[in-house]
Amino acid sequence: MRRFITGMTVLALVGAGAGCGSSSDDDAATTGGGVDQVKVGIIPIVDVAPIYLGQQQGFFKSRKIELTMESGQGGAAIVPGVVSGQFQFGFSNMTSLLIAETKNVPIKVVANGVASTGQTGKDFGGVVVKKGSPITKPAELAGKKIAVNTLKNIGDTTVRESVRKAGGDPAGINFVEMPFPNMPAAVEAGQVDAAWVVEPSLSAVTAAGGRVVAWNYVDAAPNLTVAAYFASTKLIGEKPDLVKRFTEAMNESLAYADAHPDQVRGILSSYTKIDPKVGEALTLPKWPTEINRPSVETLSKLGAQDGIFGTSTPDLDKLLP
Amino acid sequence: MTALGAAAPRRMPGGRALLGLSGLTGLLVLVELLPRAGIVSDRYLPPTSRILAALADEAATGAFWVAVGDTLTAWAIGLAIAVVAGVAVGVLIGAVPVLRAVTASTVEFLRPIPSVALIPLAVLLYGSDLGSTLLLVVYAAFWQVLVQVLYGVADVDPVADETARSFRFSALARIRHVLWPTALPYVFTGIRLAASVALVLAVTAELVIGAPGLGSVIAVAQTSNAIPTMYALIVVTGLLGVTINLAARYAERHVLAWHQSVRGEAPT
Repeated sequence: MRRFITGMTVLALVGAGAGCGSSSDDDAATTGGGVDQVKVGIIPIVDVAPIYLGQQQGFFKSRKIELTMESGQGGAAIVPGVVSGQFQFGFSNMTSLLIAETKNVPIKVVANGVASTGQTGKDFGGVVVKKGSPITKPAELAGKKIAVNTLKNIGDTTVRESVRKAGGDPAGINFVEMPFPNMPAAVEAGQVDAAWVVEPSLSAVTAAGGRVVAWNYVDAAPNLTVAAYFASTKLIGEKPDLVKRFTEAMNESLAYADAHPDQVRGILSSYTKIDPKVGEALTLPKWPTEINRPSVETLSKLGAQDGIFGTSTPDLDKLLP
Repeated sequence: MTALGAAAPRRMPGGRALLGLSGLTGLLVLVELLPRAGIVSDRYLPPTSRILAALADEAATGAFWVAVGDTLTAWAIGLAIAVVAGVAVGVLIGAVPVLRAVTASTVEFLRPIPSVALIPLAVLLYGSDLGSTLLLVVYAAFWQVLVQVLYGVADVDPVADETARSFRFSALARIRHVLWPTALPYVFTGIRLAASVALVLAVTAELVIGAPGLGSVIAVAQTSNAIPTMYALIVVTGLLGVTINLAARYAERHVLAWHQSVRGEAPT
């Protein structure tokens, strides 16, 4: 038994030593040479390719920022993580940020995240139906069962707008919640009439013969800003210089990614497991450096219309830079 | 034990291993055939050959082994903490009847709480780091050990205990020479159960919270629609589970070779 306990202890110690190699626990610690260790909460999807590309290109290192990406599934932990200081920055969709603002969560946008291409037929997200589905137009989605990744968020509010703009009645749509990766199978099996998917699930559906019937991001607003990088107001108050450098590095990364789509497709394999063949063909989003404020106002209006903010209204001046 | 009874277990290991292998082969063949025959779509359940190819691709990458290392690290640390704490608390509670009476209802209340229900708490306390995984692993594994230790302590032969008292053994000596040898087989059962549960919880925490390890890589594969890779990684977690169970059984047989429960099974 003694030998066993010794063995377990050694195993635990070795394990602890190995664990140190793969994760660092510094909280924005400033190490020698004034380099800031920064953790960013992200979701491992196509949208965040610029930050990985920028890291690879040294845009952050040149501004004395050492990045660590922390990816949680679905990103539910990102906003709490940023507020509690576990992450210095986070990536979240605009509607979630608007909801957080109405709940007085102390966060503020510091850089643009990702935007719709603004082109019908060539966007990175849309409402899909299976091969042979009778639905062909957005208006025909009225009264149907549609899968979205999160209820009362950017998916259902923009899909309703698509239907509304096409002259359909969005009130009767039955939205169901489902993770993006499950949607291709659910659409094909007929569990839902349609699904709002983004890349790479969008490519999976169209590869299986499915069709896109509505481009909800394009319909919601021209060049819609879909997501953004944000920080806690505490960090912005205490380390304005770090935030400024992060914003600069992020903007350089966004511009670089927008100008080098081939490198974006190349970097995907470093943090996702997207099949390289799919990665080459999928539709990339746009990465402008400017946040499209009118489009955020539209998202806010759509959200208010659908009652996702409760009784309050988001204050864009407090949320946006 | 009769000659017949002794002979049966001797013949069984080989036969059981063969039966087990044939069952596994059947499963592999079934998974190969179902998608090929078009009964299920190969986009959602790829055939065995493609899963194994994806597994080979994964095994060639360094990131994969780092993930395996992270999962095993969380498992080992979590299990070690749970075992040490479970044994210490178990012996203490078991040896002091008053403590046993005071804690019985609390233990029975806390024990059935599923570890996964603590995920929100873990995220608040530790974010998506190793700490979150450890919290879930330790919580789940601790009760397995504690309950077994309590049973083990309760199983002490009163005559042996009285004898030790008559010889004026100190409390520590009684724990060392009477209580511990009696409880040891129970402790090992607890460790074996805890080892499996700890792996389940380690992977769960990584999958749901995104703490580094195999679970988070499974989540990334799922998000990326890399279905064969996802199944390949799931197979790896299964292999880890089998290995851990075999290792625990081996350690049990090795360390408890002197004990009735093990000697009775072993061919003499």
